[in-house]
Amino acid sequence: MLGYIWQYVYTSFLRYWLKWLVRQVTGKCELQRICSGCKPGVTRTSKAEYSLRSSKSKVLRGAVDADKNKLEPCVDRIMEEKSIKPQKDPLFKENLHTCLLQITGYSSLFVSVEELRKEVFDSENHEHEVMLLKLWDLLMPNVKLESRITKQWGDIGFQGDDPKTDFRGMGMLGLINLVFFSDNYTEEARQVLSHANHPKLGYSYAIVGINLTEMAYSLMKSGALKPHFYNTVQGAPELKDFHQLYCYLAYEFDKFWVAEEPESIMHFNQYREKFHNIVKTHLQEPDVSLTLTVCSKN
Amino acid sequence: MGLLSILRKLKSTPDQEVRILLLGLDNGGKTTLLKQLASEDISHITPTQGFNIKSVQSQGFKLNVWDIGGQRKIRPYWRNYFENTDVLIYVIDSADRKRFEETGQELAELLDEEKLSGVPVLIFANKQDLLTAAPASEIAEGLNLHTIRDRMWQIQSCSALTGEGIQEGMNWVCKSVNSKKK
Repeated sequence: MLGYIWQYVYTSFLRYWLKWLVRQVTGKCELQRICSGCKPGVTRTSKAEYSLRSSKSKVLRGAVDADKNKLEPCVDRIMEEKSIKPQKDPLFKENLHTCLLQITGYSSLFVSVEELRKEVFDSENHEHEVMLLKLWDLLMPNVKLESRITKQWGDIGFQGDDPKTDFRGMGMLGLINLVFFSDNYTEEARQVLSHANHPKLGYSYAIVGINLTEMAYSLMKSGALKPHFYNTVQGAPELKDFHQLYCYLAYEFDKFWVAEEPESIMHFNQYREKFHNIVKTHLQEPDVSLTLTVCSKN
Repeated sequence: MGLLSILRKLKSTPDQEVRILLLGLDNGGKTTLLKQLASEDISHITPTQGFNIKSVQSQGFKLNVWDIGGQRKIRPYWRNYFENTDVLIYVIDSADRKRFEETGQELAELLDEEKLSGVPVLIFANKQDLLTAAPASEIAEGLNLHTIRDRMWQIQSCSALTGEGIQEGMNWVCKSVNSKKK
């Protein structure tokens, strides 16, 4: 209860008085202090995001939702509003611009991710079909698919004769993630598949992959991935950055699963939750970077 | 709220735990049904690897619902969950006519299981929101449900997506639990 009162008093009054006081002493506004005092990455960008979002000024609050192409005039307006002279603080403009690219980029990346998720896998769509067959060829280079509807799909971990129903909740995002991993980390993907096909410790490669897409999607949606993207992408993150994160999850989950030696596949959700918590703990670390560290073709 | 109010109407001993087993082929809609029962978001469900369990608490009832993955590879594990089951809910994708035979075989095998003998079975003819869905009566006939003599059974058409028919089905589940306990 006391905590709530303190928080209310702090955010409604104390924070502004303190800011005003520090500004009088240092001659710099909060954003300037953040941009020059914090190291680039999650520390700087998150503080800038908080400062902008809790600002009394509409110009500052609006900046976090601004269009990617209108960020420069947006930074100019902020500097005007806060009377920041470029001559006195030459790095401010660029630093704030980078922060804003990261902040607004995260939101627009989620919009793109959500669009792909909502795109239903459609057997009538030639592109979708080509991509599905590509997944097979990448993972099983020496085995020919006998027909489009076949039990063979089970060999790469789909549930039934036709993978299309397995994409349900994750739509094309699930398939694109699977293909991206197999395409850019072919050796690793085949290695993971061989673990998944282990008679005792095995799991269903494709549907676990789709499940990990869901994990990446939910982390993205909740904002939990901000630290990772703020640290690893100096600008607006793109879809390929999301796919890279998926690759990290797919590779790391397999390592985790093999090390844990679960009794059977029936315990999947319990281990998934454990892995999920490990990932979330990493995301709390200030220098988090969830990157797959093997040689990529790209 | 709907399920809750139905359960309130039924008289029962306090905190009666009911073990419900949710089975059926993959892509039948078991997890969607489970999430509907728990009033959770159903928009991004992925195939079930292993199982999910949820408890739906309500006055006098604690429904422990076990949703076991339906892919062929893990069906052999189903039997690990049979013990102490109060009600079996078998979910069928009414639009997947190609697999009616397969789903019928799996159901027949379940009904032959010793550990499930006498356990009431509710068959959800799911996905009635789809235009191509077969009506419950057609499915009942195809599965020869009328030949079941050793237990209470019911077929209920429903759509786990829209929630239609689920309340009616769960109403029957609770009634069958009550009459079994008496």
